Amino acid sequence: MLRVTGFAVAATGLLAASVAHANQNQLELQQNPEYWATQLGNYQGNRFSELDQINRDNVNELRSVWQFSTGVLRGHEGGPLYVGDGRLYIHTPFPNKVFALDLEDEGRVVWSYEPDQDSRVIPVMCCDTVNRGLAYADGRLFLGQADNTLIALDAESGDLLWDVSNGDHTVGETNTMSPLVVHDKVIVGISGGEYGIRGHMTAYDVESGEMVWRGYSTGPDDEVLIDPDTTLMLGEPIGEADLGVSTWPEGEWERGGGAPWGWVTYDPDLDLIYYGTGNPGTWNPDQRAIDGEPADNKWAITVFARDPNNGEVKWVYQKVPFDEWDYDGVNENQLIDIEFEGEERKGLAIIDRTGFGMLLDRETGELLVAEKFAPETNWADSYDMETGRPNVSDEYSTFRQGVNVNTTDICPTAMGAKNMQPSAYSPRTGLIYAGINRICMNYEPYETEYVAGQPYVGATLTMMPAPTQNGEMEGRMGSFIAWDPVAGETVWEVDERFAVWSGALATAGDLAFYGTLEGHVKAVDIENGEELWRFKTPSGIIGNVNTFMHEGKQYVGVLSGVGGWAGIGLAAGLEDPEEGLGAVGVFSALGDYTKLGGVLTVFALPD
Amino acid sequence: MTVCVRFRAIPVFALALLGFVTTHAAADDENRMTGEGPGAFIVEDGKVDPNTYEGYLVYTRACMACHGPDGMGSSFAPNLIRVVERRGWENFAGTIAAGREVQPGQVMPSFADDPYVMGNIPNLYSYMRARGEGGLGRGRPRIIESMQEQDEEKDEAAEEASAED
Repeated sequence: MLRVTGFAVAATGLLAASVAHANQNQLELQQNPEYWATQLGNYQGNRFSELDQINRDNVNELRSVWQFSTGVLRGHEGGPLYVGDGRLYIHTPFPNKVFALDLEDEGRVVWSYEPDQDSRVIPVMCCDTVNRGLAYADGRLFLGQADNTLIALDAESGDLLWDVSNGDHTVGETNTMSPLVVHDKVIVGISGGEYGIRGHMTAYDVESGEMVWRGYSTGPDDEVLIDPDTTLMLGEPIGEADLGVSTWPEGEWERGGGAPWGWVTYDPDLDLIYYGTGNPGTWNPDQRAIDGEPADNKWAITVFARDPNNGEVKWVYQKVPFDEWDYDGVNENQLIDIEFEGEERKGLAIIDRTGFGMLLDRETGELLVAEKFAPETNWADSYDMETGRPNVSDEYSTFRQGVNVNTTDICPTAMGAKNMQPSAYSPRTGLIYAGINRICMNYEPYETEYVAGQPYVGATLTMMPAPTQNGEMEGRMGSFIAWDPVAGETVWEVDERFAVWSGALATAGDLAFYGTLEGHVKAVDIENGEELWRFKTPSGIIGNVNTFMHEGKQYVGVLSGVGGWAGIGLAAGLEDPEEGLGAVGVFSALGDYTKLGGVLTVFALPD
Repeated sequence: MTVCVRFRAIPVFALALLGFVTTHAAADDENRMTGEGPGAFIVEDGKVDPNTYEGYLVYTRACMACHGPDGMGSSFAPNLIRVVERRGWENFAGTIAAGREVQPGQVMPSFADDPYVMGNIPNLYSYMRARGEGGLGRGRPRIIESMQEQDEEKDEAAEEASAED
């Protein structure tokens, strides 16, 4: 591992010219407001567009200009890329087809690509066969297939340029995430936290597909790429070596999960990538305790700041030591420049799985703000700002309550108060816009045994809508919120019948967009959340709303196609906690509103 | 102990595979529904017999992740209550053991290598029948009190037996 890293550093130096070129390309593309060149709109993960042709005054005239069926059922996450060549590039869930569509010719297929994958990968994907989309740089498209094959396609022709295996699905490793291109590397994580895998983030050379570095989420420092003397934790060097081993019961780190399957963001000035790691292996906390006491299980549910050139870890912040609820820490790290207590700070904001909105300093990893954006959150009362640890409530601690005990009414659910659906940030308002989940759970851990390639879960859970207050929509399971990341306050909130599982978009047209599980795309006034426009797509939306301009016309594009964990959990509706006590059925079943089927819908204003 | 509990229904399983058993459900009185044959069950005032309860646990551990809460199906895999009604015991047991490729992109895995699931197929079937024919509601059922004691006695006996081995 170290030898490879050393070589890579040397090679990077020798190839400085091509490094600059590749880096330049993605950066230049995303700085052009007419393009949507990376899944989150820019490296900072802001999902913000400077375009304002479609705005508060005319959005009611927005109409669909064409639709394209992908021919694939299952959940469609991610969204279309536009890099100025008159085409939209889209992808599908398994079998992970890729299409280049002619934007000017109502989505005519310019080329398509379909990988040949072992269908045995399907049942080892925990939460539907989703994929969060393509990456692009320098005429190449990059796709992480479900079976862990990372491929590069020629964007002009759709020809396969190279492929490389990033994991083994027969031991439960899979891929759902969108890679990110930084410099001359394409960076990709892995899924499989429910199968006892050992998570990692890996960088491959964009030209050849050769592995450059790999940093694990658990295990010895030299494999995590931590230096305890220089890697920071809460602004100070970690000090102690190999916490990725010593904070686990004997050997458990080898199946310790920490799968980084969410979004990666990047700060070009600091030259650091940011991402979070998932749950620590089995959901039964008892099997991760040491001598009957909670153990930190590092570095699961941790924000990593790494040098993209060699993978070295600049800082770490563990959001949830000793997880007891499957609060995967993979949510996107929005890089935002803010004023905090009178000082300009380079911030990193998270609408976290846990129900807490966090703000960190992205240079040092210090915790600045941690407040609840989902007020029903009860697993922890607050965060200790000195230690950076949550103050966990014993009543909702599935470890304290015990194995084979059903701990009830924990908020939020394992789906998180927000899951993978990426938020948006408007530098004009200083607010984050996010679709969130308002669901709680009962959670019962049980003893489970590790068998390679079999689920390694060890908990059963059931879900119910979160309690409501003050005349909020009864039985609602989601909201779309505007969050002030510095004040740690919700500014406005719109309730939705189902969890809002689509990625948000904020624009300079004073609009925020999102999709609903029933299949509506909605545009709301960015100032107050008032709905200004909606369109019903053929299926529920778990994809992201993207926007771009071609030949002077602004378009909005979104993939619909219900599925994902939301589709598994909500299709039949949730259990009514009042059932048997005479309550009426306010709890909706998603299956009554929408069915499967992937469609890309493209919108524009009339000529 | 755990292993004994998991496998206690195997004789029923073996018997049923021989195909000698027919199934039917009967409303014994207003509050009690029983089903005979493979996947026998008792539902009484919303409570169930211990095997059906075991079936609920196995379902939530092994099946719910794809088939959705309470057997009701999801966007990923079908409603199992209806599957049981339509296809019957042999098809149900066979599919769990062998898996099934429904269509490209839709695959049911084989549980042949999972002794916990394999040993509990009859209990799973009981739970599904209880949900369908038996009119059992959603959520975690409770065990009929009088049978709870029997169940505990049986467990203790099994524990003693395994301790003697």
